[in-house]
Amino acid sequence: MKTNLYQNKMLIDDLSCFFSNKCVLENVSLSIIKNEILTIIGPSNSGKTSFLRTLNRMNDFNSDFSRKGNVFLDEENIFHMNMEKLRMRVGMLFAMPIPLPMTVYENVIYAPKRLGVIKHGKKSEMDAIVEQALRDASLWDEVKDRLDSSAMKMSGGQQQRLCIARILAINPEVILFDEPCSGLDPISTAKVEETMIALKKRYTIVLVTNNVKQASRVGDRTAFFLMGRLIEIGGTAKLFVSPKEQKTNDYITGRFG
Amino acid sequence: MRKIKDDIIEKIIFFCGILSIVFVVLIFGFLIKEGISFFKEFGIVDFIIGKFWYPSANPPEFGILSLIVGSVLVTVGACIIAVPVGIMAAVYISELAPKQIKDILKSLVELMAAVPSVVIGFVGMVSLAPLVRVFFNIPTGLTAFTGSIMLAFMAMPTIVTISEDAIRSVPWQYKEGAFALGATKWQTIRRIVLKAAMPGIIAAIMLGIGRVIGETMAVMMITGNAAHIPHSIFEPVRTMTATIAAEMGETVTGGLHYRALFAIALVLFFITFLVNFIADLFLGRSKNK
Repeated sequence: MKTNLYQNKMLIDDLSCFFSNKCVLENVSLSIIKNEILTIIGPSNSGKTSFLRTLNRMNDFNSDFSRKGNVFLDEENIFHMNMEKLRMRVGMLFAMPIPLPMTVYENVIYAPKRLGVIKHGKKSEMDAIVEQALRDASLWDEVKDRLDSSAMKMSGGQQQRLCIARILAINPEVILFDEPCSGLDPISTAKVEETMIALKKRYTIVLVTNNVKQASRVGDRTAFFLMGRLIEIGGTAKLFVSPKEQKTNDYITGRFG
Repeated sequence: MRKIKDDIIEKIIFFCGILSIVFVVLIFGFLIKEGISFFKEFGIVDFIIGKFWYPSANPPEFGILSLIVGSVLVTVGACIIAVPVGIMAAVYISELAPKQIKDILKSLVELMAAVPSVVIGFVGMVSLAPLVRVFFNIPTGLTAFTGSIMLAFMAMPTIVTISEDAIRSVPWQYKEGAFALGATKWQTIRRIVLKAAMPGIIAAIMLGIGRVIGETMAVMMITGNAAHIPHSIFEPVRTMTATIAAEMGETVTGGLHYRALFAIALVLFFITFLVNFIADLFLGRSKNK
């Protein structure tokens, strides 16, 4: 392990992933620095979502999945960790907003209550967690008067921010965003991006996106994946202005993908 | 020309649709007509809370409390067995079982639904009833308990298949969302999957209850058919359905006894209606939420 000026939150060491023996990710090594937003760009089939889903072991549900190499969270190998504990520390947000079929309030308090973050939750304590999480997800002002209505009735952008709040409520260390804005309109997208930038003070964020512009707007560093390989990683500003690799340049200027 | 063809087809479809309503209304009307004329002669209160069913005594007694208790006892017993087992089986089939076991289990459960009730009654009578008699050391094995077990077998395929459908149709994303929050498989199933599938599961339970409460042949063969109010589930009981089936052949058409059986059918119809109504209430509530 190389020592770094910054503190590494996660370290991916020579990771390869396979779905029924088809290689979708080849020898990827990179580090994720604490309190940064690392954006991952690349065309479809580049393995970026598979990569993201390996970081909190969501791929383990697929029986065709296998992998080589290791991932460390604070120098602890995640494949030796308890899967549920890992996911409490590394939360994930999906492309489609998926509110659970309950009220807004219950959606946010669900995880802390069920996973034992708060024990024998007092009402006031739970209210505080819900309010804080919704505030952090910049949703509080919109929903504070209808916490008891169904989460399914909210708009798509609100649902997505509710999902963010739901993750914040269990206080993870790393949050993985899997194309969180692909189903949202530009205004909702802007709100989610603002939320992400506000959140990086306390969390480490990995964002997979198909939207190159979005990567340049929110990313501190950007990684470019192509055909299951990591082509280039570097500071976002630098990567977008003067990429080292020709392929990266072609992709961000829209020549393919 | 095409317009006319269209019209005719539309009329035919309308007719088919309206037919089922006509049937239900006709059945209901017929029951009411015979039932009301019975109540005029005998009195509805005596009928419902009367403890004695002696249709051929002089003067006859038509109290169906013991029959209602019999039906309710057998149905509740069957539900206590069939509902938890059925739902857990559905969870196992849809969430936990490996592919091959899943396929085998599913076809077996569906096969179970195809067993005729008289066969179930027969099996219960010759195999389960002696077992119950010896095991609990009671004078006869033909009891409400035996009936409950066999009826649970009959209700289970309905409960399993319909709940399984409901559980399987819970979007994978719900589960993924819960897993991503660090929920375990069991927490996800209990709090998310079952909750989201609840309307379907309640519908499954209600259909199961409907099957049990209306079941005639099996209960007639295995519950002992004694029209008295039982003190425990290990005594013979007689259900409303079995009474109608057993006695209809012996009555004089249009006589008091004949109409009394129709009145029982009316009560039965009312109970089923109530069950359906409660189910709808539940379904409506969970949808609005």
